[in-house]
Amino acid sequence: MAKYILKRIVMAIVTVLVVSCVTFLLMMSVPGSPFASERALTPQQEATLNAKYGLDQPLPVQMVNYLNKALHGDLGESLKMQKGRAVTDIIKEMFPVSAKIGAMALVWAVAVGILLGCLAAYHRGKWIDSLLRVVCTLGISMPSFVVASFLLILFCSPIAPQLLKSAQLTAIFDAGLGLKAYFMPCFALGLYPMCYTARLTRSSMLDAIGQEYIKTARAKGLKSGKIIFKHALRNALIPVITYLGPLVAFTLCGGFVVESVFSIPGLGRYLVQSITNRDYFIIMGVTIFLAAFVVIMNLVVDVVYKLVDPRIDITKGE
Amino acid sequence: MDRNMTGKTVQSAPGGKLLEVKDLRVSFFTPAGEVKAVGGISYDLDHGEVMGIVGESGSGKSQEAYSIMGLLQSPGKVVGGSITFEGRDVLAFSEEEMTQFRGSEVAMIFQNPMTCLNPVYTVGDQLIEALKAHDKSISREAAAKRAMEMLELVGINNVRKRMKQYPHEFSGGMRQRVMIAMGLICHPKLLIADEPTTALDVTIQAQILELMKDLQKKTRMGIIFITHNLGVVAEICDKVSVMYAGRIVEQGPVDDIFYRPGHPYTMGLLRSMPRVDAESYERLIPIEGTPVDMLDPPEGCPFAPRCEKCMKICLKRMPPYVELGDGHRAACWLRVEDQIGQKREEDGIHG
Amino acid sequence: MADKQKKPVIGSLQPDVDAMLDWDRLTPDDFAPAEPEEKENFIQARRSVSYWSDAWRRLRKNGVAMVALGVIVLLVLFAFVGPMLVPYGYDERNIGAENLFPYHYTLEEQAQYQEAASAADPETAVANARAEAEAKGETLTRKEEALIRAKAKSGGEYAGMSEAEVYAALGIHKHAFGYSNKELQRMADGEKVFPHMFGTDKLGRDIMVRTMYGTRVSMIIGLAAAFIVLVIGALYGSISGYCGGKVDAVMQRIVDVIYSVPEVLVILLISTSLQPHITQFITDHQGNGLAESMRTLGPNLIAMFISFGLLYWVSMSRIIRGQILQLKQQEYVTAARALGASGGRIIRRHLLPNCIGQIVVTTCLQIPSAIFLESFMSYLGVGVSAPLTSLGSMCRDALSGFTSYTYRLVIPAAIISVMILAFNLFGDGLRDALDPRLKK
Repeated sequence: MAKYILKRIVMAIVTVLVVSCVTFLLMMSVPGSPFASERALTPQQEATLNAKYGLDQPLPVQMVNYLNKALHGDLGESLKMQKGRAVTDIIKEMFPVSAKIGAMALVWAVAVGILLGCLAAYHRGKWIDSLLRVVCTLGISMPSFVVASFLLILFCSPIAPQLLKSAQLTAIFDAGLGLKAYFMPCFALGLYPMCYTARLTRSSMLDAIGQEYIKTARAKGLKSGKIIFKHALRNALIPVITYLGPLVAFTLCGGFVVESVFSIPGLGRYLVQSITNRDYFIIMGVTIFLAAFVVIMNLVVDVVYKLVDPRIDITKGE
Repeated sequence: MDRNMTGKTVQSAPGGKLLEVKDLRVSFFTPAGEVKAVGGISYDLDHGEVMGIVGESGSGKSQEAYSIMGLLQSPGKVVGGSITFEGRDVLAFSEEEMTQFRGSEVAMIFQNPMTCLNPVYTVGDQLIEALKAHDKSISREAAAKRAMEMLELVGINNVRKRMKQYPHEFSGGMRQRVMIAMGLICHPKLLIADEPTTALDVTIQAQILELMKDLQKKTRMGIIFITHNLGVVAEICDKVSVMYAGRIVEQGPVDDIFYRPGHPYTMGLLRSMPRVDAESYERLIPIEGTPVDMLDPPEGCPFAPRCEKCMKICLKRMPPYVELGDGHRAACWLRVEDQIGQKREEDGIHG
Repeated sequence: MADKQKKPVIGSLQPDVDAMLDWDRLTPDDFAPAEPEEKENFIQARRSVSYWSDAWRRLRKNGVAMVALGVIVLLVLFAFVGPMLVPYGYDERNIGAENLFPYHYTLEEQAQYQEAASAADPETAVANARAEAEAKGETLTRKEEALIRAKAKSGGEYAGMSEAEVYAALGIHKHAFGYSNKELQRMADGEKVFPHMFGTDKLGRDIMVRTMYGTRVSMIIGLAAAFIVLVIGALYGSISGYCGGKVDAVMQRIVDVIYSVPEVLVILLISTSLQPHITQFITDHQGNGLAESMRTLGPNLIAMFISFGLLYWVSMSRIIRGQILQLKQQEYVTAARALGASGGRIIRRHLLPNCIGQIVVTTCLQIPSAIFLESFMSYLGVGVSAPLTSLGSMCRDALSGFTSYTYRLVIPAAIISVMILAFNLFGDGLRDALDPRLKK
């Protein structure tokens, strides 16, 4: 097991390193000076700026320097949006906001998704299964901006039903509202993962139900509820766990849009803004940070998976 | 243990058949049409009796067993006949009664021990669960104790440690022993073993057979032993039903089947079975051809196209059962012909 | 007949043969050996069904999938035939037809509205009254003016009402499709004017045509991405799976790296950084055919294709590799190898035909996910760039004014959802049809 974890950690470090290098090279390959869009600079000014940010050195040196600094927690500073502010500082401020919404969305999505998946599998072939199937396919067919837009229309537009408009729901994102403020973004963000989880749970439940040990359990005279929720579910959840890693990544990226729509001051919206503004150090820094985050989450999920599935022999490594 | 004792006494009681199956029909309703997996079979079983059901894959032998347990999976359905267990109509059981019936009175073990145990629970958990499903009042400690006894009974050592292990830590033969222990933990009166040795190595097969014989002697339970291996049948069974294409083509005491087979299919099976006492140059003779299409079974005897002694009538009409000895009968026109001949002879003598 | 014969009396195993058979009707001929031909005729050979026709039969029976297929066909017609029928261009500004709703009022109705609404305005009411008085040769006293003003203020029947409410109060109903006043005038003059069925945007561009082009862009991206993924994924996966050993190990490590990185993030990054390069290329190679076609597509779109090519084949290659590994163990491959078949031949003739079902399904399900991603990127403003439009960027444009012009947001959002839904449902149906093992 330790060997396996070690191997995965090395793999994760390599991945983050590769991503960082690629990100750096891609960003540096962009023609023109990163300061270009500011008011016209004299060649002298530009040379000074380049020297200040170390952009006058050869590319490999720049890259090593950048990675070295990144390793020490320095991801450069904003060139445009919040001029002079350290990227790490920005991440520190904005990531918790994104993480909070993302985590809340994931929690409800996975919980409800598993529940609905079990429900559909239990009633397979019945109307409730068909209904859930259509709903969940619809859920994975709506990009988060569409969900967000429909929520806005439903709750905030003049044609919205009066009943829904009342209360504080109209306040889109106001931290002062507590949980209520999170309703819409969390719903928009969590709908896709929820439907995805439900579909996945359903199919892996059906897969589990078709296994022979379920026949054994039935032959033992267990009640069908117990068979479904004890014998099938535990096995069915194992593949669901493996998809949690990609789901984390997905929710994170869905956050870009949802944060933009609901004007949430999170990291995703900030990244999108910095892309439109071409603030290179922010793009680079945030990308590397988010990639590292996702890679680490994948790592955690993988390790948890190995722990949950007793078939993997823990003593012998992989 | 009480039940075992009663099992013994009931055996001698008059009219106390353990299981009676009458004209059982099972069909699978597939998109392509109705597949008559079991086309009307009848047999009965006494307490403590061991019956073998022999047939090739797809002959309906497993489906027949599943219908006793109420384990038929959709789209399979019992479409006719009756199953009576100690005088009770099994097919009329409610869902709850069936659940209670399964495991406590009839237990079943399956072909592939590798996939029949839930990989994510310990062996102990699964054994205890089987016990607790039928005896709510039993404490976990008592159940665990009982489970360990059962494991010891089926020849597993170091049970305390084994209880806490997961199925993947057991070998195939060991898992089948666990399956048997699990089946027997509630002292069922009938054990249905669906090809319990097929997936195992030959040496392990012999061990498991030995174990089952031994346990049968100890507990005096009835066993329905489903297999395609006549050698296994000779080893353990009192009587045999040979199934072909969803019907019993021959049925009788094990000695009759082996020494006086009445149906060409049984003869074919016997010829294709390797024998220890055979002369070294004797060849195994396979049965030519493949089974009939169960979706569209032809009129007449289903075995006819593969039968070397096939007659014209075999292709037209289903043969009736012909009594060949005490409890020994076969459904074959050849035997009908014999009987006609016999009858004419008798008529000739008397007339 | 068979039923009767099969009902022996239980208890005694003695079947009552005599009762069941009328012996007299049995002739010696019945007991003559059967001819081989007779035996052969006995079993009617079941019509063997090929994999594809069987799959097609299953697919046809799947109502949901067929409806989805119908929707896809309709959307294809909408996207590719539709623009030919509508006389507006996707980038054509119809002067005087800005901000049209997908409904209109006739000119007379508008006049009615004007009158009613202006009557509600005190100053207009005063001015009207003054004009009336002057026409009669009188003048209004200040007191009379004040009275009129007050009356208009309080009693102005439609004061404080929105436009729609005034129309409703006047008993005027909306008419389907948007027309500008100019167009209504032209229609009154007997000209035929094509309606703006979905209205127009703030620059006077017909929203229906834009939606058609957006749908077209989405579909092209979906198909192209699926194709790219198919080619690269199948190639990579089959090489990796077939070669095995060290080659496979290295190739799989690469896949692992790509797989564990969030795709959206990388695509975002790649398209941002590649875009200037492509723009540069286009300006540097003006007149060059390739550069021209790239210009038509727009740098963002090209960048997106490249990112798809770089990243999205991973899952496809994994599936194919898995299949190949599984199939490699099977005897017929060993047999082919023993017969001296070359590696390429084995892949072509033996391995691919066996995983074709899964390849088709994965490719098909790639289309909706590519459309999904494209709309996502366009929504963020890094996808399809102006003047070309896409459903995602239309939603983005519509968001700012969604309270007044809700339809501009609803229409593209609904179409994109329906499109992805249809592809997903069809892909699901295809999977069920092609791989019956998966169907539960």
